[in-house]
Amino acid sequence: MSDNPMKPYLGRLAEVKDLASEIKLFRVELMNGGCEAFQGYQPGQFAFLSAFGLGEAPFGIANACGQGNTLDFAVNRLGSVTTGLHEMGEGDILGVRGPMGNSFPMEAFKGRDLVVLGGGIGGAPLRPVIQTVLANRADYGQLTILWAARHPSLLVFTDEYEAWRSAPDTRLHLTVDQADPAWDHNTGLITDLLRKVNPSPKNAVTITCGPPIMIYYVSRMLGEMGFSPVNNYVTLEARMHCGLGKCGRCNLGEKLICVDGPVFNMAEVGNMLETFL
Amino acid sequence: MYEPRIIAFLCTWCSYTGADSAGIARMKSPANIRDIRVPCSGRVSPELIMRAFNQGADGVLALGCHVGECHYDTGNHRAAKRIPALHALMTYAGLEPERLRLDWVSASEGERFSKIATEFTEAVRALGPIHWKMESRRLEEAAKRMELESESVPLPPADCAGKTDAIRLKARELLSSQAVECVIGYEVGPRGRTRPVFIHSPEDVERLVWNPGCVNNLTSYLDDKLTPVGGKEPPKPVAVVAKPCDSRAVNVLVAEHRFEREKVHVIGVTCEGVAGEDGNLQFRCVNCQERTPVVYDTLVGAPVEGRASDVPARRIGQMEALAPAERMEFWLGEFDRCIRCYACRQACPLCDCPVCLFERDDSLWVGMGIGLDEKRTFHLGRAYHMAGRCVGCGECERACPMDIPVCLLNHKMAQEIEKMFGHRAGMTVAPSPIITILSGEYKEG
Amino acid sequence: MTDQWASANKRWAVTQEQLAGWLDSLAKVRTIIAPRDVSGVLLFRKVADSSQVAWGFGRTVMSVKEAFLPSTERLLTIHKTGQEVRLEVELAEGQQIIFGVRPCDARGVRMLDAVFLDSNPVDPYYAARRANTALVGLACRQVGASCFCTATGGAPDEAGDMDVMLYETGEGYLVEAVTERGRFLIPGGEWPQTRQPRPQVQPPEAAFTVPAREDWPRFFNQAEYWDRMAERCHSCRVCAYICPTCRCFAVRDEALPKPGEYERIRCWDSCEGKNYRLVAGGHRPRSVKGERIRNRMFCKFMYFPEQYDLDEAACTGCGRCIDACPVNLDITEIVTELGRLA
Repeated sequence: MSDNPMKPYLGRLAEVKDLASEIKLFRVELMNGGCEAFQGYQPGQFAFLSAFGLGEAPFGIANACGQGNTLDFAVNRLGSVTTGLHEMGEGDILGVRGPMGNSFPMEAFKGRDLVVLGGGIGGAPLRPVIQTVLANRADYGQLTILWAARHPSLLVFTDEYEAWRSAPDTRLHLTVDQADPAWDHNTGLITDLLRKVNPSPKNAVTITCGPPIMIYYVSRMLGEMGFSPVNNYVTLEARMHCGLGKCGRCNLGEKLICVDGPVFNMAEVGNMLETFL
Repeated sequence: MYEPRIIAFLCTWCSYTGADSAGIARMKSPANIRDIRVPCSGRVSPELIMRAFNQGADGVLALGCHVGECHYDTGNHRAAKRIPALHALMTYAGLEPERLRLDWVSASEGERFSKIATEFTEAVRALGPIHWKMESRRLEEAAKRMELESESVPLPPADCAGKTDAIRLKARELLSSQAVECVIGYEVGPRGRTRPVFIHSPEDVERLVWNPGCVNNLTSYLDDKLTPVGGKEPPKPVAVVAKPCDSRAVNVLVAEHRFEREKVHVIGVTCEGVAGEDGNLQFRCVNCQERTPVVYDTLVGAPVEGRASDVPARRIGQMEALAPAERMEFWLGEFDRCIRCYACRQACPLCDCPVCLFERDDSLWVGMGIGLDEKRTFHLGRAYHMAGRCVGCGECERACPMDIPVCLLNHKMAQEIEKMFGHRAGMTVAPSPIITILSGEYKEG
Repeated sequence: MTDQWASANKRWAVTQEQLAGWLDSLAKVRTIIAPRDVSGVLLFRKVADSSQVAWGFGRTVMSVKEAFLPSTERLLTIHKTGQEVRLEVELAEGQQIIFGVRPCDARGVRMLDAVFLDSNPVDPYYAARRANTALVGLACRQVGASCFCTATGGAPDEAGDMDVMLYETGEGYLVEAVTERGRFLIPGGEWPQTRQPRPQVQPPEAAFTVPAREDWPRFFNQAEYWDRMAERCHSCRVCAYICPTCRCFAVRDEALPKPGEYERIRCWDSCEGKNYRLVAGGHRPRSVKGERIRNRMFCKFMYFPEQYDLDEAACTGCGRCIDACPVNLDITEIVTELGRLA
């Protein structure tokens, strides 16, 4: 890290595209030393993006290192910082601090079946996992992706579904809470889809990301389906201000999501999850 | 060369058009004025005016339609009520009165607009730039605060035992019959301090006490206790032990539709006054005419004679005797100690906005920093918001860890509101006269 | 407590006049911060000379935390012109001495060190202030009614976190240099050395026993207990702001008067505030008062020590929160009752 971890690197917005309703994909090119800092970052890590003049917020890095020479971030327009980011155009300068947090234990996942569950924009931090698996396909077992959103217009990375589906030993299942006339996949909550797909716990790990309530119910159902909590991984988020384990805001019990997480397995945090709701 | 920067709020229908016609007729108006067009002078909320000053305006002019000519009938009545109240507050806080002016200009009165604009600009020019800032050197010198008049009055005798018994009796009755879900009263803690307590079952009523340490305003818990939480059952009634000043807060809360009157059983207690830190009568009690609660369901205690003192009024007089610059220095020196903990706001029974104007994430009205500018904005803003609503319970000042004389602001506003409207907060179920309640908008539940 | 200092290290005996004179000469070359009467409120503020110190001072309303983690601090100045962005950082400069620090407050600084210095990454803003500051401590001769430093592992005459330590005697002070930096400040040759022992001080009665860290997890799900404890809380945050170890802060960008210029600032915040965990979108964890009080207690006695590798609780026992709370929420009471829960 730099000698001042509160000072962002500058990044140029190389590309902005619409990902879903009110969600944009930002591709950021790092400048002045940021490239070294982000060398070798791992799936699951996150960074703070600054809309200078408005503030900063944490976002999961949505692409695996080496997949393109930019950092991808999915940004949902909700508050003042994200609105400021959404108003930026290609070529604009923003700030980047990171990489922060821990990462998914991709080494430990090798040779095992993976079940990836993404809810809404929660799919973004899971994309680097999917990309890593697909780029090293032989190292991993079966890949089952359950991708959900409240509505078809809120599904993210739709233009990559074909590539995912057509990869060897990889299945993609989609569901929305509320369909529209053009929708011809599953309708219902991700927990309904999970029950329907019924993945086997044998030699499998699950990775879940989405709204807190979704993580809660999915984890409970996985338990009922015979998954041991130690094989259920989640990536969590909370309001953060420093990302460095100083400001105290993101605590989940004695753990800080920014330094002890954001990746946890449910054996570590299962009993604390209610405080999140 | 100092050129005053002036913001003018002009209403679309009259004064803006008046300003326009002045321009068209080539009448001279100072270039110092930035016009902000609003639909009606009633739209000019005091927060906007304060914001203009906070952002560096040297003067603010608000011009509306003549009374009786407002396009919206009574919009300018709101301006006529609110802006003078703000003016009194700002003047009291040390802003020269000439820096804020409210006046009336009709669409055809170009000449009048020009005259007012010129007069106002010259008056502001003569005052020099606005001087909200205090030299940091001055602050570092930790200047001695001007001695405020005070009065040390020993605690009068009171029948605490009798009142304690009566409160316990009533509490037992209400809880046993399940008329209320809990009784909010006072108890003595392990260290000997009297403090709020929530009694939920009749077996615990022996914890309730009445003594000179009963300083808290327990009505500050009512809003939370009686607000329905989404999806859950409607809240059950509660009982609250209320001193006369506290009881006034019940009236204001009911007037502002925070909860229904039937949901609260007020155990009103007549009060000889409560103790300050030095064991004498707390300052707010030295001048108190209402020794019997103004609203109650059960009355505890025999009538108590009021106590008059002109010291609180003299304190205000002390402030008013100072020149504006000295007054400003006094207040900035006080606000400098503030740490924006918001204890004053949280202890107040009436301050309960879901997101406080001064705590917004987007820093719309004030930044997040704990600097002097921000603190001045918060305290003056809150004093304005309390005008006509503050019941003088003094909890804000008592809660402040830095001994900031918050009540000195609130008392002044209470005095102004009484002078202008003959209104004293909480004496009846009526909102502050400078709040407009639009009919049909406030519904129960 | 063995009196090792008398034999191993130097100890000086000085009068009030000598001490005042020392401060005056230090004030010529350093910024001195000491307890002052600020409109009737005892606070640590700059003093120009010893006459401005509120001699005979007890416990200040605010701890010395302010000197290392100010209530508001600028992290960056941001200059935006067109598409260009330039960032500037300014770290605190200038040597300063804080005089009259009580052992509880110095312990608080040590705990903040665990957060900002000893845990990666180092916070450069805090580090600059800390490197430039010397602590001259004053042992407590008497303890206050709300003091409980011994219950959390401290002592009224604990010198370990100071650079120089003073002990009041009937005739003046005993002075010890605790660190190299402290020795450098002392005008060694001018003062008479002494073998006088440290004055005895009556420590506060250990008002309660803090439950061991391992016991705390079982207190977590006692929702009824926490709701009951928190019932009278106003969520006002005074306790956190005056606390020597509370360090939660918020970061935000604010516009500066010049167009295109902004500052990124951090300022104090507290988990007791209603909207502390509010996120854009409206979700608000810890919306219940009991959950917030629980978090603060757990943080002091379990989370903070776990996270930053402390052997003791992150509470110095200064007692400020007990006295300042408008509704007399009492940390010793809460923890004592907790220990009694089955």
